[in-house]
Amino acid sequence: MVNVNNMATHEHDYHPPGLQHQFEDMKQQEESVALGMWAFLVQEIMFFGGLFTAYLVFRSRYPMAFAAGSNHLDAFLGGLNTLVLIVSSLTMALTVYYAQKGKRMMQVWLIILTMLFGTTFLVVKYFEYSDKYHHGLVPVTGLNKRTKAADPNAPKTEGTYVNTRSEFQWHDEKGDKIILEAREKGYLTPHEEIGYFTNGELDNNKVRDKVRIFFWIYFVMTGLHALHMIVGLGIMMWLLWTAWRGAYSADYYSPVEMSGLYWHFVDIVWIFLFPMLYLLGRHFLAGGH
Amino acid sequence: MQNVDAVNSDFIEKEPKMNYLTNGFTLKSWLLTKDHKRIAIMYLITVSAFFLIGGLYAATIRLELLTPQSDLLESGTYNKVFTQHGIIMVFLFLIPVIPAILGNFLLPIMIGAKDLALPRINLLSLYIYWIGGALIMYALMQGGVDTGWTFYTPYSTTFSNTYVMATGLGIFINGFSSILTGLNFIVTVHTMRAPGMTWFRLPLFVWANYATSLVMILGTPVVAITVLLLALERIGKVGIFDPAIGGDPILFQHLFWFYSHPAVYIMILPGMGIISELISNFSRKKIFGYEFIAFSSIAIAVFGFLVWGHHMFVSGQSIYAGLVFSFLTMVVAIPSAIKMFNWSATLYKGSISYDTPMLYAIGFMGLFLVGGLTGLFLGSMGLTVHLTDTYFIVAHFHYVMVGGQVLAYLGGLHYWWSKMTGKLYSEFWGKISAMLIFVGFNLTFFPQFILGYQGMPRRYASYAEELQVLNIFSTAGASVLGLGMILPLVYLTHSLIFGKNASSNPWMLPGLEWRVPSPPPTENFESTPIVTWEAYDFSDENGLDLEEARRRHLATIV
Repeated sequence: MVNVNNMATHEHDYHPPGLQHQFEDMKQQEESVALGMWAFLVQEIMFFGGLFTAYLVFRSRYPMAFAAGSNHLDAFLGGLNTLVLIVSSLTMALTVYYAQKGKRMMQVWLIILTMLFGTTFLVVKYFEYSDKYHHGLVPVTGLNKRTKAADPNAPKTEGTYVNTRSEFQWHDEKGDKIILEAREKGYLTPHEEIGYFTNGELDNNKVRDKVRIFFWIYFVMTGLHALHMIVGLGIMMWLLWTAWRGAYSADYYSPVEMSGLYWHFVDIVWIFLFPMLYLLGRHFLAGGH
Repeated sequence: MQNVDAVNSDFIEKEPKMNYLTNGFTLKSWLLTKDHKRIAIMYLITVSAFFLIGGLYAATIRLELLTPQSDLLESGTYNKVFTQHGIIMVFLFLIPVIPAILGNFLLPIMIGAKDLALPRINLLSLYIYWIGGALIMYALMQGGVDTGWTFYTPYSTTFSNTYVMATGLGIFINGFSSILTGLNFIVTVHTMRAPGMTWFRLPLFVWANYATSLVMILGTPVVAITVLLLALERIGKVGIFDPAIGGDPILFQHLFWFYSHPAVYIMILPGMGIISELISNFSRKKIFGYEFIAFSSIAIAVFGFLVWGHHMFVSGQSIYAGLVFSFLTMVVAIPSAIKMFNWSATLYKGSISYDTPMLYAIGFMGLFLVGGLTGLFLGSMGLTVHLTDTYFIVAHFHYVMVGGQVLAYLGGLHYWWSKMTGKLYSEFWGKISAMLIFVGFNLTFFPQFILGYQGMPRRYASYAEELQVLNIFSTAGASVLGLGMILPLVYLTHSLIFGKNASSNPWMLPGLEWRVPSPPPTENFESTPIVTWEAYDFSDENGLDLEEARRRHLATIV
């Protein structure tokens, strides 16, 4: 904070730590900062809202393709990450509590724990993404694992990954079977009836394109969420540094509280993403329906 | 100024020795300032520069349309020219112009605060605006973009070979500038009001900016994510807007207009706020129906979010959705009409003085009336099929955007010029230019209503020969309008150097901003003011020593 106002007409007798020049007292400052943070979170909701809208539109058009796509996400890792984030929210909430109590070392340890959980989340996310990379499930051509041209004479074995052009690939016999079954029973949406079939035959290319939309939405949503996590970790670094220096006390803890609000918000976004992307519609394909 | 200070020392001595302009002269003292007034001045300079560039594009368009053939520009270039005109004018001029310049400067003073609640965020939003603007300028110099300012897919994602990415990124970044400004205003109005400054004592300009801010923080993130999706689709060559793989280009339009229609209200609400100030103050009469005007701003902001579908009547949206959107579009006319009627009622039996700002305000009322009513033509589902994408709609939104927002902005700029700079502009030239702008504007855009009704489509470089006469009128009007716009640039700049000094209250008005020195000191108020009067209170109880103000005014301008 460089004070360029060398005019300094604000010659208050007493200046509480952390009170900025434009405010009369700490109460006013805390109210302003809190309202500002909430307004920021509102705009974040609208930001993700555009994506949720896109998800809603395409899920309602191609529920089968989305369910099939969901089935290729690892619900265990997703669930693990959900747990990790919920616990990190707990440690964050406790950080705020100990900041209010002014207990320095407790804050420091809890911030470190929160960062640890945040990092765990990102590491798990890395493994999930790399799994998609190895199975040709990244919707963008060129971002999948590229293999050398297979020997055309070699016997084809089930499950070998061949992807010479690094394209998005989709083979799911079980999913195809269930789409056909749904057609017989008349469950398909109008979009699906023209979106999966060519001349009445199931067209794998067309199904693949719809699943590709699912994975596109998956990557954009979880990618933006991960970006928010990384920003959150940056904020935590700064918080760790200031808490280490003992900046927070019962009189002044709003930076901890505000960082906490942001952290909880990012968690909540994940709480919505997990069921929408990993869980909805799995039962179609898990058998025994 | 120093010399004048010496001459009038016995009057000036009550004023602080330093104001926000003389408080530091280094570049650093400007670039790292947290003073909302200095940030406003930096916005003023940048936004004016973009306005000039956007205006040059407009001039090019009008020159091309002087003749039916596409002779000055080839069609491809013409596409880029009207696209850049739109992008610069909408995103870099109309949206920030009033909130970021006049709102930034006046909102804290009007509510009796030392600064906005979050001054560093305010500076950040200026830098974000600069970065976004620089990216858009970069795209422009590299060869520009030709998608139209609406970036409709799949043309923008798949087919256009122009600089869509850089422009889109610029708009994405720029959006966060207005989000942060809006956020700052909301917080400031809630928490920074001086003692006695209740919600219903706020000047209506503050209410209007508050409503605008709501739209900014609720709408802008949606267009940000939309532009981001567009950019990702362009890089990844796959995405949800691509019909080839089952995506939906209409979804882009829905998401785009969900922001961009409310954005239209970002481009008019602050202007309406200024007009409320001008009408009341230059009639020297308390505004008629204060609460109605205040809440009509909020109503416009709310209903503005429910009418985006009226941009898509012919895009293949369902007829039932169209009916609802058409109805809601009519509903938005009600709060706008409430404002118009209340302004007219305020004028009634007021003691009106026709100073330059008031000329702009009266011009606004006429032009906004035409712009608003033609909006109803376009909102009715039958007629709109005939008028969509013709010059009728071009004329309609220019009547609202230019006739509304730009006139209000110029009126406000003249009105508060003395407060912002401490100098008086030439009232003679001010009136001349206000009238030139009014005449030039009508000559430019009224013929376009007829052209559009006769079927001239927008966004083409050539047109049928029988339409040339009206196009010549339009281009001639644009020249007058251009002259009218250049004049303020000249005489306002001139006033900075040669203008007479302004006293704290040259218009003799009761508002809080007229009770601080011109230009105000960095901290705005020596001590926090206590407000005991209503807004636009011209009675004797408003705590204003009019005799003293008059004496000072005369003494200063000698």
